[in-house]
Amino acid sequence: MGKLILYGIDGSPPVRSVLLTLNALGLEFEYKIVNLMTGEHLKPEYLKINPLHTVPTLGDDGFYINDSHAINAYLVSKYGKDDTLYPKDLQKRAIVDQRLHYDSSVLATTGRALTAPLREGKTEIPKARFDALEEVYKTLDLFLASNDFLAGNYLTIADFHVIAVLSSTILLRDVDATKYPKLAGWIQRIRRLPYYEEANGSRMSQVANFIKSKKYTIV
Amino acid sequence: MGKLTLYGIDGSPPVRSVLLTLRALNLDFDYKIVNLMEKEHLKPEFLKINPLHTVPALDDNGFYLSDSHAINSYLVSKYGRNDSLYPKDLKKRAIVDQRLHYDSSVVTSTGRAITFPLFWENKSEIPQARIDALEGVYKSLNLFLENGNYLAGDNLTIADFHVIASFTGFLVFLPVDATKYPDLAAWIKRIKELPYYEEANGSRAAQIIEFIKSKNFTIV
Repeated sequence: MGKLILYGIDGSPPVRSVLLTLNALGLEFEYKIVNLMTGEHLKPEYLKINPLHTVPTLGDDGFYINDSHAINAYLVSKYGKDDTLYPKDLQKRAIVDQRLHYDSSVLATTGRALTAPLREGKTEIPKARFDALEEVYKTLDLFLASNDFLAGNYLTIADFHVIAVLSSTILLRDVDATKYPKLAGWIQRIRRLPYYEEANGSRMSQVANFIKSKKYTIV
Repeated sequence: MGKLTLYGIDGSPPVRSVLLTLRALNLDFDYKIVNLMEKEHLKPEFLKINPLHTVPALDDNGFYLSDSHAINSYLVSKYGRNDSLYPKDLKKRAIVDQRLHYDSSVVTSTGRAITFPLFWENKSEIPQARIDALEGVYKSLNLFLENGNYLAGDNLTIADFHVIASFTGFLVFLPVDATKYPDLAAWIKRIKELPYYEEANGSRAAQIIEFIKSKNFTIV
């Protein structure tokens, strides 16, 4: 096996979703920090491997891919001892894919929109952004109505993407366990994964400190 | 084979991406219109099929699925005579998947930022910044197309269907400058030449294009 390199930074939820997958698969890899704050993603060396200058990017023996969902699907398909994290069964896979695209089109943007004002140095967050987050919590609770994990009864990469975003959003608005009991239960379940702390939990401190340091009003 | 039913409406680009896939695969299916303007998507019968009340939704003999990307991947994998529209080769698939998620996370949101206020909030002024964001998408797509005739390489894939379906609307707001984005301009022509393009997308986008033009929007 060639060398796996993950380019990214801990503050990025999509990067943490890949760290969760790499840890779940027990894979060795190099982690190269790309400091977005100092514009490292815009440097020629990085643009060569990812012209979209986003994180994460994965290098697998000279083959480069970006987008965390594509990366996670590729890693499981190529290196997984079995397919449980990204099932080959067409119907099961379709459900995982729908959750992954829900992340891309709704969840990730809702999370980013919520923290954007703070990252831009503003002190007001529109109430509508919190309402959008509540809608997301409601939808995720619905996905969990009859199963322990987001795409069914087994852990899949869909769970990794969502926990990575939620670990940031709950710093601003917790999941109300009386309103969304399934979602609250799922968060606890994911936190008990043996690699959770290493891949996600321990990497939240900078984000958490940043958010705690900000004074804001909801308008 | 059981019955395939597609729930949707022509005005929705994701629905049209599924129509392109169904035609490309030469599949028989029922098309049930869900009128979003009349809030048919919020009715109990549709919520049973898709609790997220979005279109498109697919019913494959009792198996319900939402999200156009998941639907298209599923259809090719299950019914395709071969895998060319969604290759099984891991590297090729990873490129298609990245294009599909680029569509989900960038293309559709960039389009929606322009059309949502126009369609649903009665605002006829479009901020220049949103048009600039659209041009950013054109630039990225042109970059993808520098590597092959289609978005994910040398062969047509479902990635092309998703993006062309959005483009029919985009072009009303911002034509593609063929001197700046020659590969993108060539790709649009190439996709329009597909034998099923008119039926699945071209003719079905006409109404939404007229609707956009009727709004007499200005870019400010």
